[in-house]
Amino acid sequence: MMALRVTISDYGVGNLYSIRRSLEMCGAEVEVVTDMSRLLDAECIVFPGVGAFDRTMERLLPYRDGIRERLEAGVPALGVCIGMQILFDGSEEGSSPGLGLIGGDVVGLRCRVRPHMGWNRVSSADPLFDGVSDDHFYFVHSFHGSPTDPSATIGTTEYEGTEFPSFFRVHNTYGTQFHPEKSSVSGRTVLENFISFAEAER
Amino acid sequence: MLTKRIIPCLDVKDGKVVKGINFVGLRDVGNPPDLAMEYERQGADEITFLDISASLEARQTMLNAVSETASKLFVPLTVGGGIRTAQDMRDALNAGADKVSINSAAVTNPDMITECADSFGKQCVVVAIDGKRKGDKWEVVTHGGTRFTGLDVVEWAQRVQDLGAGEILFTSMDADGVKTGYDIEITGAVADAVDIPVIASGGCGSMEHIYEVFAQTDVSAALAASIFHYNECTVGGVKQYLRDRGINVR
Repeated sequence: MMALRVTISDYGVGNLYSIRRSLEMCGAEVEVVTDMSRLLDAECIVFPGVGAFDRTMERLLPYRDGIRERLEAGVPALGVCIGMQILFDGSEEGSSPGLGLIGGDVVGLRCRVRPHMGWNRVSSADPLFDGVSDDHFYFVHSFHGSPTDPSATIGTTEYEGTEFPSFFRVHNTYGTQFHPEKSSVSGRTVLENFISFAEAER
Repeated sequence: MLTKRIIPCLDVKDGKVVKGINFVGLRDVGNPPDLAMEYERQGADEITFLDISASLEARQTMLNAVSETASKLFVPLTVGGGIRTAQDMRDALNAGADKVSINSAAVTNPDMITECADSFGKQCVVVAIDGKRKGDKWEVVTHGGTRFTGLDVVEWAQRVQDLGAGEILFTSMDADGVKTGYDIEITGAVADAVDIPVIASGGCGSMEHIYEVFAQTDVSAALAASIFHYNECTVGGVKQYLRDRGINVR
């Protein structure tokens, strides 16, 4: 079988070393695109986790409806951190609309120390966590997704006494508030599981 | 619950790790990527490279080391030392750093903090503050602790937060290198004064010191160098010690 071809969208901010390398180590063939029209015929899409909301949406905006339709049609995808947040309708962080795949908005974390930075637990029974022996993952963010449909949330995290949604799935699109590509062995397991999932769903 | 972070720091000069690090089984003990990966394997939560090179050519060598490390390391990497401009920061991020720390340049040009936060996002802007006791207060110092700036440590910490810093790396220059423990009083005061994460640095000589700073202050992370480099303890060993004493670690 041909290796899964993963298309990473490069919004033009931040480095994509870790996510690219992680996916390659999981056996995927990775291409990084700056022309977002390329996402429309991608076999599997990854929205990486670097940048701010509006800047991240800038290049995606002209293809917003087309990309959402592909995701709704079941193309496997993964959004990490800000790449997850742009799956929502919009965000308190900016004024641009998001892709609108997940109903609801991205809201500010209610806590004293912001950003929420470091390793925290994610409670989830999703198959993407199969084989994960340590459920600590690396986070760095000040906002989180708040879906209107509670079934979109498949994992949560507690910070400063408040539980927030940190792991999502809608259709075949997964979203993680944490950074699997920065989460050592546990992150690698989640990415391997995602690649297996995407291979089965393509 | 968010865990406390343990961050080994590697001094890198001309692309090589300095200080006699002695790990069994590593062919090149001075190779930054190999050491960083070893620390990840031991359970380090992040890695910090401090560039202590002097020349411009050496900076490129450092960036090459950062790139090589970034393609092999799967925990966050912070790069600091000699970052003078937003362009320096951009170069380090493009090379693969997740966060970049600025020290003296933040004092001489505080607007640079805002410029970097706006361009790259707050989360990758770490402001390193070196503090030294002067009479009954603590003053910000630069140039390895040799120059007093007249800035009060706590006020400066609040100011860099307002300017857009995403995190503070606080080093007590009185404690640094002495190995008698972190300076609990001033480190705690900095952590209480700001609402961004604070990393304690300077003075760590044993596992007990890391326990003390987590038990007695609200810092988010502890940075240490020599206790890990000289094989006095592994990161995993430190974490087990902390866990046994009720500190929440990964």
